[in-house]
Amino acid sequence: MARLHVARYLLASALTGLWRNRTMTGGAIVTTAIMLITLAGFLAINDTLNQMVTALGRKSNLIAYVRDEARPTQVTAIIDDLRTRPGVGEVQFVSKEDALAIFESRFVDQRDILDVLQSNPLPASVELRLNNPAVVPELAQELQGMTTVFDDVVVPLDVVEEVIGISNLARVAGSVIIIALTGVTLFVIVNTIRIAVFARRQEIEIMKLVGATDWFVRGPFVAEGAIIGGIGAGIAAIALVVLYAQAAPVVTRIVSFLPVSTDTEFVRNLAVFTLLVGLIVGSLGSYFSVRRYLSV
Amino acid sequence: MIVLEDVHKVYPNGTQALNGVSLEIPEREFAFLVGPSGAGKTTIIRLINRDETVTTGSVFVEATDVTRLRRRDVPHLRRRVGVIYQDYKLLPSLSVRQNVEFVLKATNEFDHLSDGLVEETLATVGLTHRTNHYPHQLSGGEQQRTAIARALVRRCPILVADEPTGNLDQESGWETIQLLVQLNARGTTVVIATHNRTLVDTMRRRVIEIERGRVVRDEPEGGYFG
Repeated sequence: MARLHVARYLLASALTGLWRNRTMTGGAIVTTAIMLITLAGFLAINDTLNQMVTALGRKSNLIAYVRDEARPTQVTAIIDDLRTRPGVGEVQFVSKEDALAIFESRFVDQRDILDVLQSNPLPASVELRLNNPAVVPELAQELQGMTTVFDDVVVPLDVVEEVIGISNLARVAGSVIIIALTGVTLFVIVNTIRIAVFARRQEIEIMKLVGATDWFVRGPFVAEGAIIGGIGAGIAAIALVVLYAQAAPVVTRIVSFLPVSTDTEFVRNLAVFTLLVGLIVGSLGSYFSVRRYLSV
Repeated sequence: MIVLEDVHKVYPNGTQALNGVSLEIPEREFAFLVGPSGAGKTTIIRLINRDETVTTGSVFVEATDVTRLRRRDVPHLRRRVGVIYQDYKLLPSLSVRQNVEFVLKATNEFDHLSDGLVEETLATVGLTHRTNHYPHQLSGGEQQRTAIARALVRRCPILVADEPTGNLDQESGWETIQLLVQLNARGTTVVIATHNRTLVDTMRRRVIEIERGRVVRDEPEGGYFG
């Protein structure tokens, strides 16, 4: 019964406090919403960039040309082994005949060249499609070492290194910006709530002087912070869902090479994340804002 | 019972407010703390409620050593001591009734909100007709009585008042003191810090005179100047 009284008191106090300081409350909610939309927007951009880098990485190929004298069983064993390696997507064996067929189909006008030759000069090859560009240099070195099987290994190393570089940069820059933006969001929300708490410092002082415990003083403020953060985050989440639904197809149409997530799960997760951040930051912001006034 | 043992208090700005104060106020006592401004009267009141901490010495309230109290136990002390501040410390956004109820909520005594205690307390201080008025709609005397009601509603065994008549006209000041006398007659220990010479001379109760942070006189039935 006492707990019910306390819960009712906390909620009533929080709602009364929010209504009494409604201008400040409105400001805090709008600030929270703007900061969280910015944060979530950046998270969406960061996700797109990461997907783009991953997609670029998937386009990394490696071709190892097989010596004519290499034994087929040896080649098959190597292919089977490569298929089990992490970072390796597809492994395809292109025989001498396949290579010739490809050449003929691609260079129809130059078939005369082949007619001059007595035999098929094109080597068989093993083509690897890689999921992770980071494995390319090591794999290429390993295949180049198999001199009895492979004649030559062709690696687009400059492209690979560029993709790895972009991927690392995007990851580091993304993390730094997200941490900085989270810090700024926390700072802005905490300070907005701190102003609201400052306006009610007399109330806090009187509560303390008549014997209220710290948690009892803090309770309504933490509830207020959670409500401000929750409503702000709710607005941000709704705006996010609406904006994303509108913007994603347009962006995909204009810059078709960008792998923008259009699935609802991604947006839903982002909205849930925004709500959680709003609630946590709002509550924690109030908790710390009240602390300095409790030492009465 | 309130006991101060060789209490020294130096504020962070270097002001020596108390310089070896020792005194004992037994239960049900009615005592005046008198002395010039800056003598240390308010500091004594603030030490009793643990609004301040001593520099050296000890303060006991009902056998509890206030100076050794852990932070989380301070609220329990403050629930035993009702303090009436010179500036009343009423919440301007709350009505008379809400100001009184606020204390019960803050001290987690929700059951008393509906058992008639608030009405009874407001009747005791003569504010039944003002329950829905806000502090700015009240006279100084009525604000003071609201502050007394707020201290009274918790039925504290100790009531400490800092200049309770300081902002009141003579009639309102006298009414306030009569109220405190009635509470004392019902068993509440009352300590009043005051400059009001007429009041102290008329009442002829215990007088503890403080000067430059020391007790210079302690008479059982004294006047303002002896």
